[in-house]
Amino acid sequence: MLRCLCAFALIWPLVFGPLMAQDQPDTTLQSVLQTLQNDVTNPSRSTVNDVLAALIAADAPNTVPFLLAWSDRNVVQRPSDGAFFFTQEADGNVTLIDIDTGAEVATVSTRDVTQIRPNAGVQREIGAALVAFELTHPEADRRIAALDSAARSPDPDQLPAIRAARAEEEVPAIAARMDRLIALLVARYDQDSATRVAAIDALRGDVSTPARSVLNQLLQTRAEFADSLPDDVNIARIKTLGEDMALTAAYDVLVAANLAPPAPGRNAIRDALRGNIVDGAVGGVPIHDLDNDASRIRAYQALEDAGTVPPLVTEADMADAVSQYVFFDTYLEPDATVTDAVRAAQSSTTTKVALFQFLSLSFDALSLASIFFLAAIGLAITFGVMRVINMAHGEFIMMGAYTGYVVQTIIPNYTASLAVALPLAFAVTFLAGVVMERLVIRHLYTRPLETLLATFGISIALQQLAKNIFGTQARPLTAPDWLAGAIQVNDLVSVAAVRVGIFVMAGMFLLLLLYILNRTRLGLEVRAVTQNPGMAASMGINPDRINMLTFGLGSGIAGVAGVAIGLVAQVTSEMGANYIVQSFMTVVVGGVGSVFGTLAGAALIGALQKGIEWFNPANTLAAQTFMVLFIILFIQFRPKGIVALKGRAAGD
Amino acid sequence: MLKKTLLSAAAFAALTSTANAQAACPIKVGVLHSLSGSMAISETTLRDVMQMLVAEQNAKGGVLGCELEAVVVDPASDWPLFAELTRQLLTVDEVDVIFGAWTSVSRKALLPVLEELNGLFFYPVQYEGQESSRNVFYTGAAPNQQAIPAVDYFIDELGVESFALLGTDYVYPRTTNAILESYLLSKGIAAEDIFVNYTPFGHADWSTIVSDVVNLGAGGKQVGVISTINGDANVGFYTELAAQGVSAADIPVVAFSVGEEELSGLDTSRLVGHLAAWNYFMSADTPENEAFITAWHEFIGDTDRVTNDPMEAHYIGFNMWVNAVEAAGTTDVDAVREAMWGQEFPNLTGGMAVMNANHHLSKPVLIGEIRADGQFDIISQTPEVAGEAWSPFLSESANWTSDWQELECGMYDTATETCVQLTSNY
Repeated sequence: MLRCLCAFALIWPLVFGPLMAQDQPDTTLQSVLQTLQNDVTNPSRSTVNDVLAALIAADAPNTVPFLLAWSDRNVVQRPSDGAFFFTQEADGNVTLIDIDTGAEVATVSTRDVTQIRPNAGVQREIGAALVAFELTHPEADRRIAALDSAARSPDPDQLPAIRAARAEEEVPAIAARMDRLIALLVARYDQDSATRVAAIDALRGDVSTPARSVLNQLLQTRAEFADSLPDDVNIARIKTLGEDMALTAAYDVLVAANLAPPAPGRNAIRDALRGNIVDGAVGGVPIHDLDNDASRIRAYQALEDAGTVPPLVTEADMADAVSQYVFFDTYLEPDATVTDAVRAAQSSTTTKVALFQFLSLSFDALSLASIFFLAAIGLAITFGVMRVINMAHGEFIMMGAYTGYVVQTIIPNYTASLAVALPLAFAVTFLAGVVMERLVIRHLYTRPLETLLATFGISIALQQLAKNIFGTQARPLTAPDWLAGAIQVNDLVSVAAVRVGIFVMAGMFLLLLLYILNRTRLGLEVRAVTQNPGMAASMGINPDRINMLTFGLGSGIAGVAGVAIGLVAQVTSEMGANYIVQSFMTVVVGGVGSVFGTLAGAALIGALQKGIEWFNPANTLAAQTFMVLFIILFIQFRPKGIVALKGRAAGD
Repeated sequence: MLKKTLLSAAAFAALTSTANAQAACPIKVGVLHSLSGSMAISETTLRDVMQMLVAEQNAKGGVLGCELEAVVVDPASDWPLFAELTRQLLTVDEVDVIFGAWTSVSRKALLPVLEELNGLFFYPVQYEGQESSRNVFYTGAAPNQQAIPAVDYFIDELGVESFALLGTDYVYPRTTNAILESYLLSKGIAAEDIFVNYTPFGHADWSTIVSDVVNLGAGGKQVGVISTINGDANVGFYTELAAQGVSAADIPVVAFSVGEEELSGLDTSRLVGHLAAWNYFMSADTPENEAFITAWHEFIGDTDRVTNDPMEAHYIGFNMWVNAVEAAGTTDVDAVREAMWGQEFPNLTGGMAVMNANHHLSKPVLIGEIRADGQFDIISQTPEVAGEAWSPFLSESANWTSDWQELECGMYDTATETCVQLTSNY
């Protein structure tokens, strides 16, 4: 059907185009559409091809603009007379435009006309039908869209049109895409076996999704059976009963083909017994004995011998019936040389695919690790340096994310707002951290349990505060356009740009922290207070001030992490709670009080999570559970974490 | 025997409470929606709708000559508290009907109390089915009014052959996906073409799962995603889809828990063309819907507020209840229940909703495509579909049916022709 359509479409503008421009044709598009009224108004994937064929065969002027408008949902129908119009939005109302003349007819309310909304499946078919016209369109975007359409509904009849367009194409990028599409179509549909095998061989080692999809499609099989193996089909495999195929499944195939009587199920047996009760017994078996399967079958067999019920099919009967046939799968592709070439091409792709999948998983793990690192590093400072268990750390993350959201509502430019949000989030959470340290934690330094409870209470209070201010609906934190896409290595390996951005940011914070701790006066004092507050105080360092600044720094980094996390996930009042457990795990596994330990902990947890997800892709929750189990075990063997501080630095 | 006892008990209750009800003015309408806690954002809207409907009815002269009075309580997203407050509403406040609940777990929590005290309850949210209580009218969609038509649309109209069922890990997605899996198998989709994944609430790390879904395309079949992902996790999921460049033309996603309200928290410009299946969309172009939206905006005092499917469910449920009370001439629970069967009321999207004897509605199923402005383009609207309490696609419930009018049973086994049980403590 589509074949003639496409061939016709190709020559249509060349032959009939000039002709039509000269004199009015006798058929208007409106009159053609009226004959197809119902299918145009309620288009469905199953009927649209008939409509398209009829429209192109009728060859009325304006057909291509109509198809485009139809697909874009810019066509309405007037219920009174069923006429179709193009439309233009006119504040709340619509302006009707005559399909044939392009004249404005009237402006009416949206409710006076029926808007026609072809669904995505119909749009795809219309797009495929328009490929031939659009491939030579002067605008490059339209040509690319047409190529996308052609790739989505591959069809051998489009080959000539694409080849013709390729000959005229001047943009190298589009030409390359055309070449690729032609290669895929040739591999799948070409008449000549040798050409196809050559095209398939060219796909060897090609890991792109379309290429692998073509190979997989060529290897599609159909289950069949016969008395004996036929010679004229391309057999994929012969099935062994009991191994590749269950006996009952094979028997069901025979039943479906009317080659064997159906085996009565339990209900059928019950109904048969129920229907044949004579004097309190069925087939000579008294009803009160019919309380187990053995006696029921005995009764049924008695009825069967009497010829009143269809025969019972035992396993032996099934095996007997099935053994007369051979069951096998055949390739839908009849040419064996083609399928052999496909199999060879596929096997050389398989290792490469596995390798790239591993790479993709590694990137995901790296990305996750960098997010964990950002979330945990602030905690590593406060928990590691000050021994304060700050349960409100997650809420500082949340606070940073909401800061980002508020900035975004004020500054509409996403890049500028991000540039403002990062330092502002740091400042806001730094201040919040300092205030919390001054008001609460300072008074509880020697009492860890009370600190835990107090910060936990603060965390709940902060969550509820956020709910009251921002509501519980998730708020968007949109990445700027240059961070919105993905860095695509190939179809298997792609990393969202925003994740790369977070990775870079995590790296920068790592360096910054190392610099502050090891190369600045503040760092020196922090390390001194960490190791021995009393001695540090007697050397002229004010531990109070250092504690306050350290806490502020840790909280500030949490705020920046919040902005980063908000870009990939959701900004809600509960987002902090999602990260607090992972953050503590990261710090504990990595080794308390060490920046490198946190790095190692984040890397381990990220890799572990992705590794377990890979083993069990169906349940992400299970992956997290197994990870916690692993960490509990790990802590048993290395209670001080991966990077354990030694000597005097380890404190007690 | 049991049936007889129950009937006589019901008759007795009817006798005693009829006298009460007719005397008792005002008629009390319980509203049991969470106004605080995690479900507050969804349920607060429904409380507002109920207050609007009650006010509108009072402006029309009330019911049976009585004023209506809304008794609002706050179960605070705390499931046991739903049961507690149901008891309070029925015994202390003595309400005549309750409209409420959102999550399935809260409904399950209050069911025993409701059945014990013979209350009348309207549940407005799409849910997983597998339930039919004597005392509950389900005005939201059962799986066959949302999930199954959406899958049919995927298969017939979009030509999807390979399915990814992604869901949040709790009762609604698990039950719905179990039904869908067996439905897909019955439609001839091979088991290896169905990919299932469950994630925790609030899941944020979607990169691997989206890559897995994209990778399904290498099988050479059209891939489609059926999403029962709930709540905030949708933000991360759709963000990742957009980031990896997955367009609706390549891999369409149909969601059962994403409506106008949820989209208001998202940047929808990158989601254009993805789908949702509901029984109502705010964009439905009918006079009834326009009047409803105008009334809603007037009541809430903010023209930016959206309307959604559960709001329509309450609108239909409340109006049906009013009509049933008028028809029964009393607010007595059993009389109203019987008057509810066969009640008709116009949908906001056109056509008539009908309350069936299994306490589920017949409603049209709509499929909408997300537009850049956060609304939906309705691209498919079926005729009214009768809600099924029990899914024929799950082996345990294949033979079960519910009919409170003829069979007087909510879990009736058609194979053994017996009533399995009358209470809903499963």
